[in-house]
Amino acid sequence: MTAAQIPATSTPAPSLGARARDVIAFEWTKLRSVRSHYITLLIAAVVTIGTSAIVAHAIASAPKSPPAGLSALAASFLAYAEYTVIPVSVLAVLQFTSEYSTGLIRTTFVAVPRRWAVLASKAAVVGAAALVTGEVLAFACFAMVQALLSGRHRGVSLAQPRVPGAVLAAGFVLCACALTALGLAAIIRHTAGAITATLAAVYLVAGLCLFLPSPWKDDIGRFTMAFAASQVIALHPQAGLLSPWASMLVLVAWPVGALLAAGLVISHRDA
Amino acid sequence: MIELHGVTKRFGQVTAVDELSFTVRPGHVTGFLGPNGAGKTTTMRIILGLDAPTSGTALVGGRRYQQIVRPLRHVGSLLDATAVHGGRAAYDHLLAVALSNGIGRTRVAQVLELAGLSAVARQRIQSFSLGMKQRLGIAAALLGEPPVLIFDEPVNGLDADGVRWIRMLLRQLASDGHTALVSSHLMSEMALTADHLIIIGRGKLLADTATERLTNASARTDVFVRSPRASELAALLTARGADVTADDGGLAVTGLDAPTIADVAAQHAIAVHELMPRQPSLEQAYLDLTGTSTDYRAADRASESQASR
Repeated sequence: MTAAQIPATSTPAPSLGARARDVIAFEWTKLRSVRSHYITLLIAAVVTIGTSAIVAHAIASAPKSPPAGLSALAASFLAYAEYTVIPVSVLAVLQFTSEYSTGLIRTTFVAVPRRWAVLASKAAVVGAAALVTGEVLAFACFAMVQALLSGRHRGVSLAQPRVPGAVLAAGFVLCACALTALGLAAIIRHTAGAITATLAAVYLVAGLCLFLPSPWKDDIGRFTMAFAASQVIALHPQAGLLSPWASMLVLVAWPVGALLAAGLVISHRDA
Repeated sequence: MIELHGVTKRFGQVTAVDELSFTVRPGHVTGFLGPNGAGKTTTMRIILGLDAPTSGTALVGGRRYQQIVRPLRHVGSLLDATAVHGGRAAYDHLLAVALSNGIGRTRVAQVLELAGLSAVARQRIQSFSLGMKQRLGIAAALLGEPPVLIFDEPVNGLDADGVRWIRMLLRQLASDGHTALVSSHLMSEMALTADHLIIIGRGKLLADTATERLTNASARTDVFVRSPRASELAALLTARGADVTADDGGLAVTGLDAPTIADVAAQHAIAVHELMPRQPSLEQAYLDLTGTSTDYRAADRASESQASR
């Protein structure tokens, strides 16, 4: 049993910061080196902006003002709420499920045995990518829709109070959805199941709340991602729901909850 | 150095690894043998911290794998060469793995060269044959220049050239003082590559021995004799205390050595056309060992089912 120790003569133990950089570089390299990731993002961007233009054109050319409940601001994000959120959430899901389905997850966990570190790095990389994509598309949609509406004097501008915050918040919604998807994917491991769970978390729970009788609809609904998202991007938030700031906390709580649950599961499960 | 101390892994009712203890020493290629389902892969996954053992400990260089900082610099492993993302280029796959442990691009280029993959480094892995994926997996294992190597069935899917390449590589690494644990279900391959063998069956240790000692220890050494007057000779040899059985048109004799058999034949003027002392093949020694384990388990099951009645 002599000479059993790993030679201590090798380089001194790297700092925590250096190790965190390594693991983030690992996840970032994996994310950026698959071509279909770019194609998915590109299609999401084109479809979102294209659909936003169609919606804005329809609203602008309608004889009456927009339908009740649809403010000029909310109209900016109609296409974004689905055509951006769904593909980016699926991309986030794939960051775990493609590794589980190919077996690459074992290479990942052998290279980085601290599984919380793997989860945190994936969250950092996916969260950052989703946030950048979200902000870019949110501002792009806003700018284009308002440009079309302003021709009919129905638009809003970034100079108005609350508007910049609402657009920024719309970008953040994408990040919240993607990170929730990432956490669910780590727990569920299978692509189809994880996508279903993500769509349920983002849309379906809120959709079911719409069918509840009146006080319950808002009492429960205000804790769903979709209701919270509608509050943070609204120029005039609904009274029955949580305030925009409280709704922002709801949008933070979903991904945090999903990721904490994911960390507990993957650190105690055989890979 | 890899040490297992009483490692047990149960999946529900099934015991995949059963109180397994062994040590893999540096400077040797250690073959890790067992029939399919013997628990080889599970054992390797436990060593690499992928599966948690139900009880016992597995140490690499005196530490649990999870406690090693930048583990690829200490342990290189290949479990499943097909466990890669087909949409990623070989270079990017290796670069990602390298960066995770603070290993630079120069080393990535080196292992690509070593594995003979430089020319296809920018191609996506989905276009690779199984043999090329095996080379890629081995390149990844060598990234951190680790002193300990763990390969699960590395010659699977390789052509003759590839098999020879792995064999030479392992021998070279072992002679440089590396610790190499290489699993296989093919005794014939391990006979050429490994100088030490750990054989398991049904999760239990069956043998932990130098390769040549395994054949010497076997009771199956015999002498093959061919003679036109075989039955006469058989009677004479049996009278001298030998065990004689018919074998492939001749006689398989145990209990007497070749000179004695020749003397007996000469004394009775019996012509001998062939006289050949036989070492049992490693294959046979292996089958004897693993066969016993299967019999044992079958008996075990029978007594279990009786007990449950």
